[in-house]
Amino acid sequence: MKKVMVVVPFPMGEGDLARRQAQMKAVDLGPGIELHYRPVRVGPKNYSSQHDMSLADFSIVDAGLDAEAEGFDALCIDTMSDSGMAMLRSILKIPVIAPGRHSMLIAQMLGEKFSILMMWDRWRMLYTKTLGELGMEHKCASLRSIGVTPDNKSLLSGKEDEVFPLLLDAARRCVEEDGAQVLILGSTTMHEAHGWLSERIGVPVINPGPLTYKLAAIALDLNLTHSKATYPAPLAPKHDMIRAIGAAGAAWLEANQ
Amino acid sequence: MTRILVIVPFALDEAGIRNREAQSGYVPLPAGWQLTYRPVTCGPTSFMSPHDWGLMDMAIFEAGCTAEKDGFDAVCIDTMSDSGMQALRSVLRIPVIGAGKASMLYALTLGGKFSVLAQWEPALPRYRKAIREYGFERQCASVRSFDQPPDFANLLDGKEDKVFPRMRDVAMRCIEEDGAEVICLGSTTMHQAGEYLAANLPVPVVNPGPLTYKLVETFLALGLSHGRDAYAPPVEPRLDMLRAMMKAGAAAEAGRG
Repeated sequence: MKKVMVVVPFPMGEGDLARRQAQMKAVDLGPGIELHYRPVRVGPKNYSSQHDMSLADFSIVDAGLDAEAEGFDALCIDTMSDSGMAMLRSILKIPVIAPGRHSMLIAQMLGEKFSILMMWDRWRMLYTKTLGELGMEHKCASLRSIGVTPDNKSLLSGKEDEVFPLLLDAARRCVEEDGAQVLILGSTTMHEAHGWLSERIGVPVINPGPLTYKLAAIALDLNLTHSKATYPAPLAPKHDMIRAIGAAGAAWLEANQ
Repeated sequence: MTRILVIVPFALDEAGIRNREAQSGYVPLPAGWQLTYRPVTCGPTSFMSPHDWGLMDMAIFEAGCTAEKDGFDAVCIDTMSDSGMQALRSVLRIPVIGAGKASMLYALTLGGKFSVLAQWEPALPRYRKAIREYGFERQCASVRSFDQPPDFANLLDGKEDKVFPRMRDVAMRCIEEDGAEVICLGSTTMHQAGEYLAANLPVPVVNPGPLTYKLVETFLALGLSHGRDAYAPPVEPRLDMLRAMMKAGAAAEAGRG
């Protein structure tokens, strides 16, 4: 049995975690692979500024640092910001799959140009960062927002009637006005809209979370992992320091919430 | 039962097809999968000039154009040139994966820059053309050849001791001099060298044929296929004409032989 850790980028209880775990239903992983969702213990309130992104990087590294030692075979990061991916790849030899980079590359296997649908404009920086790193700004037809404040715990539940039509309208503009041939949901927290939107829009729509699970599975089958030439191991790993920083952050959250 | 059509880009005999089929041994495939390797009806004998590229496009198009009607669930094209992929995508709704674009994009999930290991000097212009057209010039560190005339039927059989170390040496130059962080084997016909190179190089090696099988698995599991906006169906299909043309081509070849 292959074990995959899915790092969830906000601290949360079981009820909220179940809405993240529901992403599993969107993909047939076959037998022989199991997913273990692990929320971070520290981090920002949401992903709305560079302040948050710095904390997010750290929080995900803190959660995944020991994945290999704990017997996991691969690790997926449950956020389109790819927070922590580069750091974890430098520390771990097992595949570390993050949805932003991977969905932008897979989109180009299905069409030439893609657009990204986001809940609000605050997320724009998440995608421009990855597009810049990939050097593929010219492959992105547009980034469109529906102007709805996201909720990283309740996701879209209870807001379907409001949010789904807005997403469809923005998706149509991406296709008709911007020339997108493939769409990417801008957050793994938008997965509840995937089936509804795909049935109506007429171009492929990438559901980024489930995509990472399948890519983790095939990376294991192909015996491939990230290049150490791109993600060199640290000369002086600070494992204990990272753990101490994470614990102190968790204690602060506990005391202040 | 999931049936995958693998189109072999040359009109090979049974022994030649078996050398291609051996690629399926490198990766575990889902239970109930059946791979059918189908050679083209007729086509070029070499692959080094625009004359060859144009014929191969048409040959692969014809070999796969009824795949959906024939009951296949997906098509893999067994060449890094992606010959025929665009035309096939315009007439098929099932996933059609060529090894070229897909392996370069997959390489970029593993590292920031890739090099392509080409068989011999005359193959270089075709790679450079593809990389330019896909818009991957910024991500491609280099294309280098190990200067071994290709044998499309016997592949690298019997030449391992001489050729494998030379492939490794050229790949090392890609890494050390050009900055490659991932190596793409430049042809599905190099699959026999994949394991040797993976064991003897410090960066990941993408073996393009087996990769296409796993990508098909990914797309089928997620319900994804290419967008019809990017690959519009023909207003007036002439697949019967295409079939008759290639049959005549094969007859002409047989008469000549």
